[in-house]
Amino acid sequence: MTDPPPYPNAGDDASTPRWVKVFGIIALVVFLLLVILLLTKGPGGHGPGRHLPSGGAIGDTLPSSVVTEIHTPPGNDLGGHAPPNGGHG
Amino acid sequence: MPPRLRKFVLTAHVTSSVGWLGAVVVFLALSIVGLTSQDAQAVRGAYLVMEPAAWFVLVPLAFASLLTGLVQSLGTTWGLFRHFWVLFKLLIAAFATIVLLIYMETFRFLAGVAADPSADLRMVRNASPGLHAALALLVLLVATVLAVYKPRGMTPYGRRKQDEQRRALLQSKQDEQGTNAS
Repeated sequence: MTDPPPYPNAGDDASTPRWVKVFGIIALVVFLLLVILLLTKGPGGHGPGRHLPSGGAIGDTLPSSVVTEIHTPPGNDLGGHAPPNGGHG
Repeated sequence: MPPRLRKFVLTAHVTSSVGWLGAVVVFLALSIVGLTSQDAQAVRGAYLVMEPAAWFVLVPLAFASLLTGLVQSLGTTWGLFRHFWVLFKLLIAAFATIVLLIYMETFRFLAGVAADPSADLRMVRNASPGLHAALALLVLLVATVLAVYKPRGMTPYGRRKQDEQRRALLQSKQDEQGTNAS
């Protein structure tokens, strides 16, 4: 992104390069996977509670201080990574 | 952009981008320590240090990389939307920064669990930071490869701009020849 373009005649080739198509397909697949993940897990499916170790209900396994924290909306609003309104999107 | 300023912004961009990559590797190492160490203090310490380290290192480097990349592309002939590789790098940096900001809440949560002495060590251990660090490392490596190899390919916008510049250059040459002939 620093030196002048090393291929000044790149504009002569009107077709989209193959690597761009491959990148585009990969990006689309990743995006769709994220959407499916969010839809299947629900809007709060990617909050901190989702990262807990499996097994048992949250209240059965975690200390009460942490359970309180999980169910309390975060003080700083950085995009809702906490249930019930969290998510990566 | 003047050459000296261009070199300065380039240095800042390379430093922040590679620094971001290195910081992600450190987070991957911390995650491995958190998951595998038998030392309870080391496990708790790994998750406790992630949140401040992310605020003081990952977030500033991510924004520095994004901003210097924007300045660098807009201030040179590469442009921001003319070449596919520049566009992909922008998307990768923006996506990774947004996910990082969202993930800060998880870092806060994990630090809270690690700081609670009543929390069992199994509760403290969590694979999520390692997974996210590995994925971040992958996308940042892709961005680095794009920056180094600069693969060919202009966007339709870039081709249109290039055609406009060529036509303008041709027109000015014809005007110049016409003036000389008369």
